[in-house]
Amino acid sequence: MKRFLIFLATLLAALAILPGAQAAGGKLVLTGSSTVAPLALEIGKRFEAMNPGVRVDVQTGGSSRGVADAMNGLADIGLVSRALKPEETKTLTAHTLALDGVALIVHAGNPVRQLDDAQIKAIYTGQTRNWRAAGGADLPITVVNKAEGRSTLELFLHYTGLKNSQIRAQAVIGDNQQGIKTVAGNPGAIGYVSIGAAEYAVEHGVPIKLLPMAGVPATTGAVRSGRFPLSRPLNLVTRGAPSPLAARFIAFARSPAVRDLIEAQYFVPPPR
Amino acid sequence: MHNPGDRLFGLALWGAAVGVTAVFAWLFADIARLGLGSLSLDFIATAPENAGRDGGIAPILVSTLLILGVAVGVAAPVGLGAAVWLNTYTRAGSRGGRRIRLALDMLAGMPSIVFGLFGNAFFSVFLGLGFSILSGGLTLAAMILPIFIRTVEAGLGAVEDGWRLGAAALGLTRSAALAHVILPAAAPAIGAGLMLGIGRAAAETAALIFTSGYVDRMPESLADSGRALAVHIYDLSMNVAGGDVHAAASALVLVALVACVNLMAVALSRRWLTRRLAV
Repeated sequence: MKRFLIFLATLLAALAILPGAQAAGGKLVLTGSSTVAPLALEIGKRFEAMNPGVRVDVQTGGSSRGVADAMNGLADIGLVSRALKPEETKTLTAHTLALDGVALIVHAGNPVRQLDDAQIKAIYTGQTRNWRAAGGADLPITVVNKAEGRSTLELFLHYTGLKNSQIRAQAVIGDNQQGIKTVAGNPGAIGYVSIGAAEYAVEHGVPIKLLPMAGVPATTGAVRSGRFPLSRPLNLVTRGAPSPLAARFIAFARSPAVRDLIEAQYFVPPPR
Repeated sequence: MHNPGDRLFGLALWGAAVGVTAVFAWLFADIARLGLGSLSLDFIATAPENAGRDGGIAPILVSTLLILGVAVGVAAPVGLGAAVWLNTYTRAGSRGGRRIRLALDMLAGMPSIVFGLFGNAFFSVFLGLGFSILSGGLTLAAMILPIFIRTVEAGLGAVEDGWRLGAAALGLTRSAALAHVILPAAAPAIGAGLMLGIGRAAAETAALIFTSGYVDRMPESLADSGRALAVHIYDLSMNVAGGDVHAAASALVLVALVACVNLMAVALSRRWLTRRLAV
């Protein structure tokens, strides 16, 4: 019992000194998109190194959470991997950090070279259920869709003009890596993921293939040039005018000083 | 001569045992094959870089230990108290005791994401602890309490009544009998309860991502957000392109950590409590 009491006492003592443990130079809280979070974390570390005493805390949870937390003040900056919707722009301001393209992927062994928009729609609504109807082998199609709240889903729905309730999916997934793994493990699967992540997977021998969209090949180069139809901005969003520290961070995150970090996460620095 | 049915039965049992071991061996071989190459002292002693693809896991390991420390430090005394109360102060089959046990069993089977949402709403937002090691640890404490209480209570129930009668005959007070006789006799159950709790807590991702959070900096106090190993592994394998190798290496560290903590919990509870029995 005595040891437990000692442990409890130490714990209470630790609790008591909590308020003293604030960062001297100020603290920024960033929450939101799990796609942007690893990049924001790396930019935050470089920002901390250049501004001693400043702390940048990054939390994930999806773009919807980034919008909500920025809106109600839980976060200084929200991370949102899509363009803001018209009703959101009334209260929030977006600062584009980088660009990302979303590409359709199929298994590397799938002979299908490209799909037009009508075929994509037919596959995702369940009208086409076999690859033979899309010029492939006699193999049932496994439709992989993203979970609600993911900005890749919203981008895909916007492009195809479908509603999520119309989509007949065999698998619903969350993150990009999960999508890549699902498609790589299933010769009949089709999914859509971030181009940077898919390019990296292909370079490292993962058996998937990126399909062109509307005739434009799915590459990071096509995203940078703005030709790729299914691309999205990765945004830092703030409510009203950001605090001086947040404004400094945003300026830093959009400067050439973080270009290498953006490219290391397989995103595309915005043209400027 | 064995009859063939009996032989088949024996073979089936043997097959089940081999199967269980094989699944573990396969699982372990898989992460070892991928992760062993990048596992080194440096990996354990340096901070992650490039979203976890490079560098190590030092801050994450420290955060994990702190979160586990808070969880066990809170759950163990509260859980012991509750188990003793259930065992000695409620009559067997009484309505109140039955309801509490039912509630505990339901809580023990609750998916961890439910605890995560509760922890985020209660500790992080309502109590204002924010994303911190403290709110993560307290959430885990709430999560492992039911299973710990039920295991310890079962252990206390298994202590023979003769021990209690003997203690009473010697004129020991209720608390003295507990501290010197009953708890030491139930030491293996307490160790087992701790093991189950720590094992469940260390493997936790869903309950921690919204409470202790995602920050992979070295924590300076319990009020800092700190990424747990399981959250790190999840992020590397699901969200970071090319994070698989370090995810596997981190998984190896987590397996080793859980094994170590389990052994320590058993050894500690045995030593601490049996010594008391001998005095």
